[in-house]
Amino acid sequence: MKYLVKKIVTLIMTLFLVSVLAFLAFQIIPGDVVTSILGTEATPEREEALRKELGLDKPPVVRYVRWAGNVLRGDFGESYRYSKNMNQMMPVAELIGDKLPVTLLLAALSMILIAVIAIPLGVFWARSKNKAFDVLMNMGTQTAMAVPSFFLGVLVTYLFGIVLKWFAPGGYVSYRDNFWGCVRYMIFPAISVAIPKIAMTARFLRNSMLMESGSDYVRTAYSKGASERRVAYFHVLRNAMMPVVTFLGMIVAEIVAGSIVVEQVFSLPGIGKLLISSISTRDFPVVEILILYITFVVIVVYFLVDVLYRIIDPRISNK
Amino acid sequence: MKKVAGWFKKQNKYFLVGLAMTGLAVVLGILSFFWTPYGPTTMSAAERFNAPSFRHVFGTDNFGRDIFSRVMQGIGTTVIVSSLIVVISAGAGILIGAITGYFGGILDEAIMRVTDAVNAFPSILLALVVISILGSGKQNVIFSLGIVFTPSYVRIVRSEFIRLRDADFVCRARLMGVKKLRILFVHILPNIFSVFWVSVTIGFNNAILAESGMSYLGIGVQPPDASLGKMLSDAQGYLGRAPWYALAPGLTIVWIVLGFSLLSEGIRRKEASKK
Amino acid sequence: MIKIDNLSVAFDGPEVVKNVSFTIGDGEILGVVGESGSGKSVTALTLMGLVAESAHVTSGEIYYDDQLLLKAGQPRNNALYRQYQGLKMSMVFQEPMTSLNPTMKVGAQVEEVLLLHDKQDPKAPTQSKSKAPAGNLAKSAKSESAEAKAKAEAKADAEKKQRPAKEASKNALLAWHERRVQEKEDRKRRVLEALLNVGLKDAQRVYDSYPHQLSGGMRQRVMIAMAVILHPGLIVADEPTTALDVTVQNQIIDLLRKINHEQKNSLLFITHDLNLARRLCDRILVMQDGCIVEEGATEDIFCDPRGDYTKKLISAVPGRTGKKKTSNSSTTPLVEVHDLNVYYRENANSLFGKTVKKCIVKDANFEVYEGEILGLVGESGCGKTTLSKAMLGLNKMIDGRIVHHSNSPQMVFQDPYSSLNPTKTVGWLLQEPLRAQGILDPSKAMTEKDRVAAAYDMLHKVGLKDKYYARRPSQLSGGQRQRISIGQALITRPGLVIADEPVSALDVTIQAQILDLIRSLQEELKTAFLFISHDINVIYQVSDRIMVMKDGKILEIGETEEVFRNPQDAYTKELLR
Repeated sequence: MKYLVKKIVTLIMTLFLVSVLAFLAFQIIPGDVVTSILGTEATPEREEALRKELGLDKPPVVRYVRWAGNVLRGDFGESYRYSKNMNQMMPVAELIGDKLPVTLLLAALSMILIAVIAIPLGVFWARSKNKAFDVLMNMGTQTAMAVPSFFLGVLVTYLFGIVLKWFAPGGYVSYRDNFWGCVRYMIFPAISVAIPKIAMTARFLRNSMLMESGSDYVRTAYSKGASERRVAYFHVLRNAMMPVVTFLGMIVAEIVAGSIVVEQVFSLPGIGKLLISSISTRDFPVVEILILYITFVVIVVYFLVDVLYRIIDPRISNK
Repeated sequence: MKKVAGWFKKQNKYFLVGLAMTGLAVVLGILSFFWTPYGPTTMSAAERFNAPSFRHVFGTDNFGRDIFSRVMQGIGTTVIVSSLIVVISAGAGILIGAITGYFGGILDEAIMRVTDAVNAFPSILLALVVISILGSGKQNVIFSLGIVFTPSYVRIVRSEFIRLRDADFVCRARLMGVKKLRILFVHILPNIFSVFWVSVTIGFNNAILAESGMSYLGIGVQPPDASLGKMLSDAQGYLGRAPWYALAPGLTIVWIVLGFSLLSEGIRRKEASKK
Repeated sequence: MIKIDNLSVAFDGPEVVKNVSFTIGDGEILGVVGESGSGKSVTALTLMGLVAESAHVTSGEIYYDDQLLLKAGQPRNNALYRQYQGLKMSMVFQEPMTSLNPTMKVGAQVEEVLLLHDKQDPKAPTQSKSKAPAGNLAKSAKSESAEAKAKAEAKADAEKKQRPAKEASKNALLAWHERRVQEKEDRKRRVLEALLNVGLKDAQRVYDSYPHQLSGGMRQRVMIAMAVILHPGLIVADEPTTALDVTVQNQIIDLLRKINHEQKNSLLFITHDLNLARRLCDRILVMQDGCIVEEGATEDIFCDPRGDYTKKLISAVPGRTGKKKTSNSSTTPLVEVHDLNVYYRENANSLFGKTVKKCIVKDANFEVYEGEILGLVGESGCGKTTLSKAMLGLNKMIDGRIVHHSNSPQMVFQDPYSSLNPTKTVGWLLQEPLRAQGILDPSKAMTEKDRVAAAYDMLHKVGLKDKYYARRPSQLSGGQRQRISIGQALITRPGLVIADEPVSALDVTIQAQILDLIRSLQEELKTAFLFISHDINVIYQVSDRIMVMKDGKILEIGETEEVFRNPQDAYTKELLR
């Protein structure tokens, strides 16, 4: 319990720190938002008016407090760039709310692929005594880990989109219009995200299992007359999964935080694509909230993994 | 000569293959500063979208430029950029990691909080944030990725120093009255190199992947500097017509990254077999 | 009962076990004694069918009650072995800390033996029960009645089957469930009984604990419970007490003897410790470099050893006789320790947790005299290392006074592998104290040439040849490293050297050499030693005076002969047993 409270306090402190940094970083950078919105031709009066409208005339601390207060109340501010209609800018919350399901769907599909393929593969690899299979897997996973996700996206597009014509490259269907059509399209970006992580996870699990197999308690289990199968699944796997849980947690955080590049390759309108376009158009209210969001996701996932770890590993929880 | 042959015999397969792969890439990259088969920017309307042939090993692109020459230049940029990133981040990592790890205390706590926070992020995302503050361009890519990767080295160096801080031989050095700086850099530092080289080779990989990823997204290295990531993003529009245009820079990245992976695996195995 | 005939085993290279033949009789305790690398463990693991896949049996056969278990040239029959492992022969390993599955409750781990073998041979438990000592008879009768009940239920179950199919299957399911529950309770009761039998009084708590919640001695008892629960004919114990403290060691030995006495099973006891073997075994094999060099009844071997190696081994064992004369008569204090308390800061939680100061050494008062060897004996965790660190100034959380009358003391550690910087050469290591001294105190600075000469001189003093000068620690054996360690500590001629378990990680014969070296160097250089060990016999061999420590308190201090002849404290008496 004490541990939980402590963890949550650290969690909040980190979020606060990141929010300060995210906010202040964009206040000190060269390049004025006002000029970039209005163009260089604008009159000083108009610039002044916009500055006041955006609240940029106040000192940074005041602006941070106001901004943070708004964020805590659920008001994420308005985008500088996207407009909702003629006389209103798009609220950031709505903007992100629209893109978030895309990223979450991609993350979920990728995680399912990883969990379903990598864990059995890793176990099978560790138990296999076939030398050729071992060499093949070793080379295959090494290579898979070396492929950058954007190139993998290009390869998947080429193979499944252009050669096999299983999907139309660039033909993203919105989840609002056709959910299953969207899922069908999303399988391919999910494959691109998943392949390197599958290779990493399978390798990690296999190495973890091989390491555990050398432990003394495994010898004890054999001395009781347990079969190789029983030792592998009942004793080794359980212990070998411990570090893998942390590893998978890191991958979840990475994927949920936005497979930025892959979204770009498949032109998915997700968080990652929004972030890139906001950065290049200097749409700071959006960037700030996105950074906060990603930090939040990462920290929460890590926290959950930590809690899970304590539940499954008696050595920690019973201390 | 005999010495060289003997040295080669002692290395394992991973190390040798990795060395050959990265070595070839580095040689091509450096060569590109002096010579390329064709002018990398020479366009030719007559030679648009030529498939790979003896004339153009990797084929030509939408402007009729020789892709091999452009890939060579891209490797050159990648090699320089990633080396500088590794030098900056590893150098800073050793210094900060050694001091915080050995002395501990409040400074160590504070730096660990920061590195934990930074390590939690996908590296490319953090670099994007830094870039969005500094603006794009080669120097800023080097600088931002240099900062972004520092914490990972700090972490490794720090944990090694913490492990060795209370090792018996360090304890004895203290009893002999050896000065602190000498303990840090003469007694302890040589002991972490085996772990450190592994992380340096992995660091090269991360740097290459991040740099090319950012260039692919259009916020990394900017023209006229050649870049493999940018080439790939240009080629994506012609995927149906000229797949080799995308394959050439893509496979080149895979080649280099795989080379460094094998190198690091080789070093790891060599160290493991020593123990 | 067990017959091993001409067994040789090799791991990709030379044979580590060479033409070993021996038998183990019914109810016999056979000791296998040898130093590390003598092949004793490999022999035991091969017998148990547990040796790694990379090992090849190059010759020989193994029989259990005339049943051929293993034959050279044939692949190991794992299915056959599984029927023996746990049921007819079982093993207790050296490392109780790592030999239990860390993520499984202890009870479940013991129960696994029952689960694995009840399935294969349902009659086994009743058979073995009949062998059980009288004390257990009542309980085993109960288990039989439980079984009878289960049978009756099964009968009733069969009768019910004639009724309408639906109800019958439902009832069958219920009965099956009930039987499962019954079996489970039965198993649990047997496990608790087994835990009680090995002296774990709080069996229920142990049953529900994870291994890390138990002490080393308790874990080893759990291992023994696991090994004896099915009353196998043979128990193999591979250094079962090496990782344990002396008093716990005594208890485990007593337990093994008791089990052998009650259950009449054979015990193969593997150890490096001749004294232990002598106390427990009926017959002893001595192994060296994979061969059996001597075999015979225990007392015959000790009273009349025939082979040279056995003689050497017996003479190397630190005993309580044949000690060299005490040479020191000085009573000038070199270090005075007054009313010393040493604390240890326990800060489990870095952020908000309060740090708790724990007192490790309580109220220590003693002196180290010039040129003497003061032995400090105590079990692990008694505070001997903490005390030594405080004396060296490495632990600053103390009250009381430590007065040094000489220059700064040096230290020799237990583990020869971690106490020398692996990236340096022997020459560099020997010179480093001189360099450091020169930097600290320019009046003592030496030229490069003098340093090299001093380093070579020290190399000779610790009994190593010139060729070792340029080697790195990884190219030296454990004993050689410990020599370099001692040289490094002595090269600046400190008044006091603290040696913390300097010979505990070494084989007996090497141990004897290092003890001789320390003795002779101490006589030559007149350096005082604080010699720390858990082994009272080692302490006896080297010390002029000894100091006994327990739970942070110094219980007794006095002239070595005096303490041995007339121990004052009950704990000292227990150690001397």
